[in-house]
Amino acid sequence: MAALSLKKIERIAPDQASLSAARKLVKPGVWSGLARDESGLVWGACQGSGASPYRVVISEPDAGYKCTCPSRKFPCKHSLALMWLRAEGNTPFPTDTTPEWVGEWLKRRRADEGAYDAEQGERKSSEPKSIALTATEAAEEADPKAEARAAAARERTRKDREEAIAAGLDDLDQWLADQVESGLAGFAAAAGKSCRVIAQRLVDAKAAGLAARLENLPARLYALPEAIRPLIAIEELGQLHLLAEAYRRQESLAPDLRADVRREVGWSVTRESLLADAAATRTAGTWRVAATLSEIQQDRLRRLETWLWREDARDGPRFAVLIDFVPLAVGPARSPYAIGERFTGTVVYYPSPVPLRGLLGEVSSHAQSCPDDFVLPPDGLKEAFRNYERALAAKPWLGVWPMAFRNVRVSRSGEQMFVCANDGAEGAPLLPAQADLAAPLLALECLHGLGLWNGTHLRLFLAQTSLGRWVGE
Amino acid sequence: MKPRDLKSRFLPALLAGTRREPLPRAGPVLGTDPHALLRALCLTGQALRFETPTAPEQIVREMWPEDVRPIIPDHLRAPILRLMNAPKCSNAAESAVAWAFASKKVRPHLFDLPRMEGFVRRQADHLGVVAQYWAQREVPAGKQNSYFDADQISEKNWTDAPSALRLKFLESLRARDAAAGRKLVAPVWARESAEVRLRLLAAMQVGLSHQDKEFLDSAAKDRAPRVKNLAKRLLARLAGTTGENPALAACLERIERTKAGLRKKRASLILQLPATVKERNANRWVIEQFAEIGLDEVACALELPLDGLIDAAEKDEYLLFAFSMMASREKKWDVLAKIAEALPDAWGRMSEAGFDEMNFADDGERNRWVQALVHPREWMPESAFPAWEWLLRRMEAQLPPPLMLHVLASKWWKKRFSGEEKPGAEEMQVFCALCPPSLRSKLRDQLQLADLEAREIGLLLLDILDGLETLT
Repeated sequence: MAALSLKKIERIAPDQASLSAARKLVKPGVWSGLARDESGLVWGACQGSGASPYRVVISEPDAGYKCTCPSRKFPCKHSLALMWLRAEGNTPFPTDTTPEWVGEWLKRRRADEGAYDAEQGERKSSEPKSIALTATEAAEEADPKAEARAAAARERTRKDREEAIAAGLDDLDQWLADQVESGLAGFAAAAGKSCRVIAQRLVDAKAAGLAARLENLPARLYALPEAIRPLIAIEELGQLHLLAEAYRRQESLAPDLRADVRREVGWSVTRESLLADAAATRTAGTWRVAATLSEIQQDRLRRLETWLWREDARDGPRFAVLIDFVPLAVGPARSPYAIGERFTGTVVYYPSPVPLRGLLGEVSSHAQSCPDDFVLPPDGLKEAFRNYERALAAKPWLGVWPMAFRNVRVSRSGEQMFVCANDGAEGAPLLPAQADLAAPLLALECLHGLGLWNGTHLRLFLAQTSLGRWVGE
Repeated sequence: MKPRDLKSRFLPALLAGTRREPLPRAGPVLGTDPHALLRALCLTGQALRFETPTAPEQIVREMWPEDVRPIIPDHLRAPILRLMNAPKCSNAAESAVAWAFASKKVRPHLFDLPRMEGFVRRQADHLGVVAQYWAQREVPAGKQNSYFDADQISEKNWTDAPSALRLKFLESLRARDAAAGRKLVAPVWARESAEVRLRLLAAMQVGLSHQDKEFLDSAAKDRAPRVKNLAKRLLARLAGTTGENPALAACLERIERTKAGLRKKRASLILQLPATVKERNANRWVIEQFAEIGLDEVACALELPLDGLIDAAEKDEYLLFAFSMMASREKKWDVLAKIAEALPDAWGRMSEAGFDEMNFADDGERNRWVQALVHPREWMPESAFPAWEWLLRRMEAQLPPPLMLHVLASKWWKKRFSGEEKPGAEEMQVFCALCPPSLRSKLRDQLQLADLEAREIGLLLLDILDGLETLT
């Protein structure tokens, strides 16, 4: 069964015009050399307006695509049309060996995936592209002296960076102390300029993770009601000092916590090294896509988050988030997954005392749309917050935390909507941006759902109700 | 030290600034080193983070109405959302979908209401009581209408219904039983606002007869001048009182009556337009001039039978147009058909001048009107979109199949697809909305000749209408 469905194609299309244009190409007569391989790659050539046909390849498991046409839409109409042909299932696609140009794309694609810094979304073309490739190159070069020189250079770079970070952390503490002495009641009003200056200092100190936290802080504060801004400023600035202190004492921390601190500060872990790390937490199971979020960052990269929920209740984390950073101009605007899709596979988690972010390792069944209800635990909102507190205790700089809960209702108090426990006193303010979309939930007595708590507001991912599934995007 | 204590002891100093308000001593918790200040910041921040949010004490209880209509099936939800959010989705498409909702007595899924807000607001009356509630949720409490499904309205609760529904109900009751309609209005008349009284009186025109004279006499003494004037006009329309209608007198002044013919002299009528009325405004002027008089009144005043009246006006397009408008209003379908033979572009003129004073009691009336008026073989509009869009708005329904078949088979239609300037997306949506189910496959075939944009949205609309209309 094809992993692509018309619904999914409709979702990943950049606009209606692309779909309409693709529809014209959903005719076998326009295509030549249509074929596929066992791994889910499908390719063909489509005669366009140019002299030579465009070569198009798609990857069914993850809705990847590549076309040689000059279109600036992603996916282009040719890629969409090929997906469409495949999804309809009326056109034969004989199994064939992968042609050279498809193989090259696949190689480049894997390399590109590795070249995006998994942590910061920075392109690091000089870093190894894959473990296997590095090994081959090393074997070919086999120059021990050069390798030793390179290792020494890397070590020097690392030490220089550690020193720079240490100095940056001292400056951060000094800045934090200045803010506390001045008082945090009015911090939010001047946060833009103030945070930008210290964030730039931390960028210079190569502590990009901390810098990003500071750069995003003013926007986070301005999005909140004025009354609680000083309190959230205290929480956020307190976390920055906690991170600085933890980094200074990292040798005394447990390995997972240490790795987490280093990533929070700015050290990156490449995709390949994580997948190759035998000690990394791996959780296999049946996963459902709970939410897909897309956000444009200040560095003109699009951050695509795919939140997964593991349906089987065996040990190990139930949630996982896959994060991709793609350039705004050329990358896809949405996650290739659709909410509710189900697949079986293994998530490899970045080391952390509360594993959350991960990468997809082996996938044994491709994502298929699934109308079934999500299998949620019996916990209510109270237990969901207990889980949050446990996670917060394990990782005090925890940012957002996903929650699963049953038996809640959405209520309104003034302009603010709340997700309230039907059987307790808990009530989480709903993200104001979701107010319109969630307003129909006010009519329902009881719902079960998944959401993301950011410390002040709950973003509802989805709700299972007597009227079916509500999704928050 | 407990989290609550941390908050109460350190928070004031952190907010005010430790320069102004030094941190209170906290013993070994903070220590005395230079980082003590930042440690207080961390601990207080973490104490705040561990506070579990609680539900607000005051909750606004929303009173959602109960809707007995079933929700549309899931497979129709995505196409409808796609159509309603398409940039080229027109009023015609919205209306056609809304009418299909109303005729099948189904409602949109609750979760889709915010995803097609504009459609729901504009078409709420057709979409059930929950959609009406949704469309009014931002309206201040005092200005909200009650939520009414058209099917639920009765003589007992009609005063609670939104104004448009009330008028429709009254008109339909008057068409069935004029006396019952009058008895319904009489007790509530005095307590209604002048605006509502005016509209109720206008609705009383349906089935107007001498039985209404007493009611009209009392309305003619109304304190609101507009109500008073309308009542007087209606009184004037009652047979035997024509001479009292000043509008009729004004019209008669402009109708020149002569005799024409070689052997047998026949009456001939010419409408003299005022010198100030230009040709482009003439139809509109005719609508205004003849708005308050009836065909019978004119015939009576000119001492001609109705047939003779039309024959006498055959040389004057404006007079024929005036009569076509009056015949439409008075539901004189035979007369209208006769006029349309002599003036096939009458409906084009109506659309151009914005004639909208028609009320249809049922689909039968609609079909008889359009079949009497529209003859695709005789005349088709040059500006297709405004004319057909007007027809759709007036009809609020699909064309009868024979008429649509004539449209699809007409030279005009074929020419539209053979030229460079093919029908646009908005125009195609109008034809899709007008097309009856039995001819949709034919229209689909012809849509293949349309431009991509028009074809896509047209096919989507037809799919949705097919889906809704086949619901059981």
